Amino acid sequence: MTNIIEFKVTRDGERTLLSVPEVGLFTRALPAGALLSPGQHAGYLLQLGLGRALVVPAGVTGRIVTERPEKVHLPIGYGDVVYELEPIEAGDGRAPQESPDEAQSDDGLVLRAPHTGRFWHRPSPDEPAFCKVGDTLSPGAAVGLIEIMKTFTQIGYTPTGSLPSNAKVIKMLAGDGDDVTEGAPLIEVEPA
Amino acid sequence: MFHRLLIANRGEVATRVARACRSLGISPIGVASEADIGAAWTLEMDEVVCIGPGAPSDSYLQGKRILQAAKQTRSTAIHPGWGFLAENAGFAALCRSHGVTFVGPAPELMARMGLKSPAKAAMRAAGLPVIPGSDGPLADAEDAARVAEQVGFPVILKADAGGGGRGMRLCHNISDVRDAFSLCASEALSNFGSASVYLEKYLTGGRHIEVQVLVDNYGNAVHLGERECSVQRRHQKLTEESPSPALTPKEREQLGALAAAASVRVGYTGAGTIEFLRASPNESVGAGELYFMEMNTRLQVEHPVSEMVTGIDLAAWQIRIAAGEPLDFRQSDIRFRGHAVEARINAEDPTQNFRPAPGTLSKFSFDLNAGPGKLRLDTHLKQGETVPPHYDSLLGKLIAWGETRDEAIETLLAGLASARVEGLPTTISLHQSVLQSAAFQSGEYDTSSIPGWPPVAAKR
Repeated sequence: MTNIIEFKVTRDGERTLLSVPEVGLFTRALPAGALLSPGQHAGYLLQLGLGRALVVPAGVTGRIVTERPEKVHLPIGYGDVVYELEPIEAGDGRAPQESPDEAQSDDGLVLRAPHTGRFWHRPSPDEPAFCKVGDTLSPGAAVGLIEIMKTFTQIGYTPTGSLPSNAKVIKMLAGDGDDVTEGAPLIEVEPA
Repeated sequence: MFHRLLIANRGEVATRVARACRSLGISPIGVASEADIGAAWTLEMDEVVCIGPGAPSDSYLQGKRILQAAKQTRSTAIHPGWGFLAENAGFAALCRSHGVTFVGPAPELMARMGLKSPAKAAMRAAGLPVIPGSDGPLADAEDAARVAEQVGFPVILKADAGGGGRGMRLCHNISDVRDAFSLCASEALSNFGSASVYLEKYLTGGRHIEVQVLVDNYGNAVHLGERECSVQRRHQKLTEESPSPALTPKEREQLGALAAAASVRVGYTGAGTIEFLRASPNESVGAGELYFMEMNTRLQVEHPVSEMVTGIDLAAWQIRIAAGEPLDFRQSDIRFRGHAVEARINAEDPTQNFRPAPGTLSKFSFDLNAGPGKLRLDTHLKQGETVPPHYDSLLGKLIAWGETRDEAIETLLAGLASARVEGLPTTISLHQSVLQSAAFQSGEYDTSSIPGWPPVAAKR
């Protein structure tokens, strides 16, 4: 089982509707006005105590119109719409920098930072790295930690966009302990 | 008692369980696939959670989604109904580990009763007669040949984890057994994930007689008599009745007591059914004997006939037992009164080899005051509704009660004659033929053929 769920996408005129193809508690929703782009984590779904990141699928961008739910844990059913997106105007300064498929770069296929922070290769200084060049990553495999405000978040391999479901590590683009911004390239991969 | 109970089922099953919930003051919570959202039966629930697309594997069999739906609707119990997850021990165990009461027996017991030879061994140890055959799985073809010689031909090889009539091989002599053994084992492995095969004497015809039991968590058990389910088509029951015309009052009492005692001995709790085969009087060995076949660890489709003759609400008691209530009556308090017959009305075309036919019910009504006795209709459908293609073809069950068997049959015939069902073909004409046949009316029928079918006129 992977630890991510991709939103199901339906279109309603200009608007894009993102629904969750599962049953559970929707939490850490992003606020109205936030911009979504492919590969981004936009909240989590808790099911039987396990959390899974909700990921924006390839080809989807937009600005969230829906107000953030009042409930911290919102019970949802299969197919419930959690975000309604309006298109981002051309030339909008706040548009995300990524192209619709953020996994594709000049260098090939790249796994990017889901948020800003300090990127660590290993769980603690005296332990081996989560992954190294030549390793094969399957969905959910840990690739590193991102530290922000003393909180460490484990980063899992998330095969969104054109990233293959199983990937081989070609190059670590961000060094151990590097400061990274959201969307910064972390690891270059190729299909395993 | 529970405040909110989630029903992990759909259609007629969900309707029946919801009614039991209401009678106990419990709020019924439903789950529904996208194909069922908005159906009349979902409106009987206090809340409904959508759990996936129409296909059962994507919705009603998604145990984790259903359990999560129970958690987030604050339901403290799950009733699986019958079909779907009702006999899934893994699901029952998952519910238990998340602190949700599964309305049914313990998962360990469900697992044991789900495998044929452990179930047989447990019931033999508990004192029930079993069909002569191997003690558990066979080691190899030679072992099979040796056991076959002992019990006498014909014999049948069966997959231990099998079901639905698959993974079985009939053998008439010793070379059949040697040839069929490895084939049967590999078929069992690919179909059911276990190569375990056992063997028993093959009995042709005979009658399917099952005993309804209720067992609480304190070792109190009662039986609610038996149901005769010998009118079958491809192992699917069509018409059921209680009591069975094949048992004498003394046999009924003995069989019921034996079934209730065996249920307690194996550790059963809740409502359950023990199925027996009464061997045909033409068998060379064991003619007329009653043998244990299997235990169904759930409520059954045909439970209303037992309710009609005893006045006991089985679905409600199943929930009360799961909530820890003791049975408040004993065997001697149960009065068996009159006779009940049930007809399963399916959306199938009897003239097209019973092909299921989904569609829209342009008319759907019955006169429940027809006939000298009483009529009960268990259905989830309303006129104008569409029957989706994903699920089984049951439209409803018409159950008749009369002081005597003749009166019950007459009442059921009157009820069927009053039916106005349009938009879909149904099996109503089949039931009319069965009920009017001399074989059914005399009570002399068995599983080898459907009494009165095909109708004489159709044979021209």
